[in-house]
Amino acid sequence: MNEFFVELYSEEIPPNLQINVRKEFEDRIRNLLIDENIKFKKIFSYSSPTRLVIHVIGVVDKIKISSKVIKGPKVGVIEDILNNFLRSNNASKKALFKKKIDKGEFYFIKTLPKELFAKDLLIKIILNIISSFKWKKSMKWSNHSMIWGRPLRSILAIYNNNHLSFNFGHLRSTENAIIEKDLLVKTKKVKNFKDYENFLKKNNVFFNQKEREQKIIKKLEQICKSGNYNNVFNNRLIEEVTNIVEDPNVLLLEFDKKYLEIPPEIIISTLELHQKYFPLFDNKNKLTNNFCVVANKPDTNNIIKDGNQRVVEARLSDAKFFWNKDKSRNLIKQLANLKKITFYEKLGSIYDKTQRLRKLSSWLSDEININKEKVEIAASISKSDLCSDLVNEYPELQGKMGKYFALAQGFDEEVANAVSDHYLPIGNASIVAKKPISYSISLVDKLDTLVGFFLINQKPTSSKDPLALRRSAIGLLKTIIENKINIKLSDLINYNIKLFQEQKVNIENIDVENEIIKFLRDRIKNILKEKNIKGDIIDASISSHANSNFLDLYKKNIIMNKYINKDIGKNVLSSYKRAFNIVGKSADNIDGNPDAVLFRQDEEKNLFEKIKEIRKNITIKENNKDFEKLLISLSETRLLTDSFFDKVKVNDENIDIKNNRLQLLKLFCNTFNNFINFSKLEGVS
Amino acid sequence: MPTKKNKKKNYLSFQEITLGLQKFWSKHGCVILQPYDTEVGAGTFHPATTLRSLGPKPWKAAYVQPSRRPTDGRYGENPNRLQHYYQYQVILKPSPDNVKQLYLKSLNAIGIDVKKHDIRFIEDDWESPTLGAAGLGWEVWCDGMEITQFTYFQQMASLECKPVPVELTYGLERICMFVQGKKNVFDIEWNEEGVKYKDIFFRSEKEFSAYNFEFANTETLLKNFELAEIECKSLLEKNLALPAYDQCLKASHFFNLLDARGVIGVAERTGFIGRIRELAKGSGEVWLKTQI
Repeated sequence: MNEFFVELYSEEIPPNLQINVRKEFEDRIRNLLIDENIKFKKIFSYSSPTRLVIHVIGVVDKIKISSKVIKGPKVGVIEDILNNFLRSNNASKKALFKKKIDKGEFYFIKTLPKELFAKDLLIKIILNIISSFKWKKSMKWSNHSMIWGRPLRSILAIYNNNHLSFNFGHLRSTENAIIEKDLLVKTKKVKNFKDYENFLKKNNVFFNQKEREQKIIKKLEQICKSGNYNNVFNNRLIEEVTNIVEDPNVLLLEFDKKYLEIPPEIIISTLELHQKYFPLFDNKNKLTNNFCVVANKPDTNNIIKDGNQRVVEARLSDAKFFWNKDKSRNLIKQLANLKKITFYEKLGSIYDKTQRLRKLSSWLSDEININKEKVEIAASISKSDLCSDLVNEYPELQGKMGKYFALAQGFDEEVANAVSDHYLPIGNASIVAKKPISYSISLVDKLDTLVGFFLINQKPTSSKDPLALRRSAIGLLKTIIENKINIKLSDLINYNIKLFQEQKVNIENIDVENEIIKFLRDRIKNILKEKNIKGDIIDASISSHANSNFLDLYKKNIIMNKYINKDIGKNVLSSYKRAFNIVGKSADNIDGNPDAVLFRQDEEKNLFEKIKEIRKNITIKENNKDFEKLLISLSETRLLTDSFFDKVKVNDENIDIKNNRLQLLKLFCNTFNNFINFSKLEGVS
Repeated sequence: MPTKKNKKKNYLSFQEITLGLQKFWSKHGCVILQPYDTEVGAGTFHPATTLRSLGPKPWKAAYVQPSRRPTDGRYGENPNRLQHYYQYQVILKPSPDNVKQLYLKSLNAIGIDVKKHDIRFIEDDWESPTLGAAGLGWEVWCDGMEITQFTYFQQMASLECKPVPVELTYGLERICMFVQGKKNVFDIEWNEEGVKYKDIFFRSEKEFSAYNFEFANTETLLKNFELAEIECKSLLEKNLALPAYDQCLKASHFFNLLDARGVIGVAERTGFIGRIRELAKGSGEVWLKTQI
């Protein structure tokens, strides 16, 4: 069968770069083959740390290009334009002919049918792709000008048993595959993919990532079965490890049981993050002193096993040393050390931040009625583990260590939990903080970060968000929504700005309050979309969101989405639509202020009374507004509007009466728009 | 190799490892230099690496460099941490195509049989804000332990490296602990006569930790920093790249001490680093400009 394959052989490319490039390679080759009309059966892409392989099977030899008529410029254009047209189509003047179409007389050419060789096009395609890979990080080496993830050493290219010869930078493609294992270097001329595959396999090089992954998973499962461990592994780690080995061999190791005394998070972090090992858990999901290592070769005489075990013990003994030292260091006494840790250059230290958090959370505790004393203590010590040796060594354990220290020093459990949980949510699928003290700190911490960076104009742009402020905003909103925190953020934002000012932070942006509210409205769209709220409802609700209560905004969306296709929703819409059609685009002087004296018919009066009743319910200051009830009361206007439009002629001859009726309908629409801006809904205008 | 006479000696001593690397890299065409005679934080700071990384001239050198990191002092109480330790530094410009093979051979030369051990190249992009330097490469793991930093410099002294040099930095204590199977750095066998690392360095770790953390006179340090900075700038005006760079190194060491004493505030820190980077950049520029 016709086939084509390329192997790009380099020094070890980090797993993330490698995975991205492998996917990019496959996508781009598929698109370019289609663009060039080269038919093929299937594309396979593989990678290992040193190899990036693309294999296309069922490639045609020749590509027939049929003749085509191409329309050119209008007859009478200047010579240059005509020449450009000829040049870009690679045609001569002789090929031109004129033809009249309905837009006038134009030049045309007819191209000749052609036959191209796949071989030539493939070289063009490959060069096009490899010279423009989108490396997230790339480098140069030696005297060369080439750019690659790590030094590219060789290019193997074969098409139908023949060497596909081309130059790329300082390299010339070869027909030789290379094996470098430790100090052994071998090369072999390969004729086809099968040949290549066999040569590598014989030397225990597995370039197929799926094969490596299967091998690892199978062995891990075996170990779990025979040792009665919980068969759950970190998928990200499996993917990473799969892509840092070529000849995976899973080893079962252990460390001294005495280290199980230290918090399991430290051990797991040591194993997974620092050493890329797999911790093992018993069937009650308790961490054991066993773990697995994926070595890149078979272990003869337990040499690799012993070495890895020693490394883990050294790291754990370090961690244990720090743990014993840190846990007894008084958290409160350490607060002053936070002055040495920058939060951000123009925004002072972490200490400054905790002082703001203490005041903000104290203010919040009054608003939402939670224990002020606890929340203040939690805010004060929320970051104090940042100056511990352990967090210095294991930055990923910030918060988690603080919680352990707090518990070891007898702090209230709710306070201790807040030290770890206020960082939530971490990542998209993560839960948010759920306990009052925790979510309060979580909320003010995220808000303070947003306010701070907006104050010094470090705002995200459409493409860049280096400070992850979008993530903070989404975390903040999810915390509010899931805990049903009923609060207008404006006041808190303004208090926060004041606190920055008191700390002598230089204010570079005076529109922070509005900008943050707007930023949050944009972010809540994503949350609502994830909840499958209809797009027009989201737009309609945000368009009428006049305050800074995001829980209300969220609830309205949920209610509206629930009822939009039911009777209640249909009635609301029908009612609104009839009024809006008449008054929607009315003049400015129609502002929704009818005069009761000018009502002439009962239908007008009844409608007016109903509107007044609804407005009273809307303006009621109530902590947990019942938006369902409100929507139902809007839907109840249907009967009144129907009879209004049946009986009342808006276009009265008396201009004052006419205008008064318009005013009434405008008031009606305005009242509805308080809920959400119904005019933005599909099918209304 | 194990001998019957001396049972203990089935591995290389610290000094044999150092000598093994010296011999190996000498054989492979490197200029074998001696340590630089002023305090530095890492082998990279030696002008044989920093300044010689710049410009078109080929350069191959290797040397041991005592390195000082005042904040890492632990009064000799931590089995893995020292404020003074040794790096073995190799710099090859332009980076040879077979540098990975060369490196693996060098491990064999110091008693690490690469066929039996699991040697891995794990992503590690290196950056030194003080030097204005950055590079891509790996940390090399041997059975899970980091033993070497392997970096293709892309930038040095804020200038692009053209051609690109490769730097190999061996952590001598770590390698030695690995080879000798020790859990505590102070148990390393320095030579074959039973002299241990502790016998040589324990006292200095203790005393320097006290100096670094408690007794270094911060006013003097601050003054010294400023004097070094002024001196460096004035030497740069006279196009004396090497003496100017010496002053940059001194400034960097004074900064590290000030840092260990905990007197550098958050906002100041970036400022200090930026000032040192400027000195390094100036030295690099003059070095290039006056290169023949």
